[in-house]
Amino acid sequence: MNEFEWRRQMRDLRQPLTPQRDLWVSIEAALEDSERTPVTPVTRETRPARRHWMIASGIAASLLLAGGIGWQVLHAPAATSVASSKGRTGSWKPADPRLAGAAIELNAAQMELQLAIKQAPGSPSLQRLLSRAEQQQTQLRQLASQAAG
Amino acid sequence: MSPASMRANDSDDVRAAASGDRHAFQRLYQLHVGRVHGAVYRLAGYDHARAEDLTQDAFIRAWQKLPGFRHESAFGTWLYRLAVNLALMDIRARGADPVSMLDDEHLPDAGETPFCAAEREELERAIGKLPPRARAVLVLHDIEGWRHEDIGSELGMAVGTSKAQLHRARGLLRKVLGESS
Repeated sequence: MNEFEWRRQMRDLRQPLTPQRDLWVSIEAALEDSERTPVTPVTRETRPARRHWMIASGIAASLLLAGGIGWQVLHAPAATSVASSKGRTGSWKPADPRLAGAAIELNAAQMELQLAIKQAPGSPSLQRLLSRAEQQQTQLRQLASQAAG
Repeated sequence: MSPASMRANDSDDVRAAASGDRHAFQRLYQLHVGRVHGAVYRLAGYDHARAEDLTQDAFIRAWQKLPGFRHESAFGTWLYRLAVNLALMDIRARGADPVSMLDDEHLPDAGETPFCAAEREELERAIGKLPPRARAVLVLHDIEGWRHEDIGSELGMAVGTSKAQLHRARGLLRKVLGESS
């Protein structure tokens, strides 16, 4: 295939595409939700959408970091300290100092995500990230139990 | 409807939607969803579910940001850029390595995708197999017609890196398609 033919074929792919399902129903529901929750006025100077996604990216990185720490602890010799828990919700801090950093990251990530979801209740991406954060915290609790045992 | 009258209607609907008229926004959705979803779908590696989530997000954000829209560009262009930015952010949030490319050993056997399969569907499938960042550069440059300067700016990479990614992505794509260019 020559360069011209290649370019032609690639440009031919640039076509509109209708979603497989009607997205308007979900969009409208999300708009209704967001109207119930006041949203900070948008200005060009603050560029909240970009900042919001930077926060989400930061949270995703935190989750990876927390997972990595947890993985290291799992494969390290058993700790002598005992994990403590203050319940499933709210701030939770394991006694093992190697897990404490990950727990702080996860708690902060959850709080940031909950705030972001309040501003954009219909965002599936944020919901996915929050769900991932909760899964990571569950795994961390399991690791804390194993480290204690 | 002529393009001029379409733009006029679009403009009326944009103003109405910015004032909170949801029916006007629904008309804008119907008018622009194809272009937005098409671009996002390609950037998402031809993943329908992910593309639908991103398209939905794009329209929700557009609604929230509409009061700040200053009509400096066409609404369709503004919405398209907003949606593409969301798709690129999604690629970043998923931790796509900015430099890593698909290893040759992970490429499918050329026999699985014979050259005659450079037809649309096969080509799309092959693009979908590219690593996310390389795919983003290829889609934005070769399909969407963006310049390297804009791609570099949006993806946070140097122009030279964008060109290198495109060169490598094309090579991988040709390999996936079984072509020895």
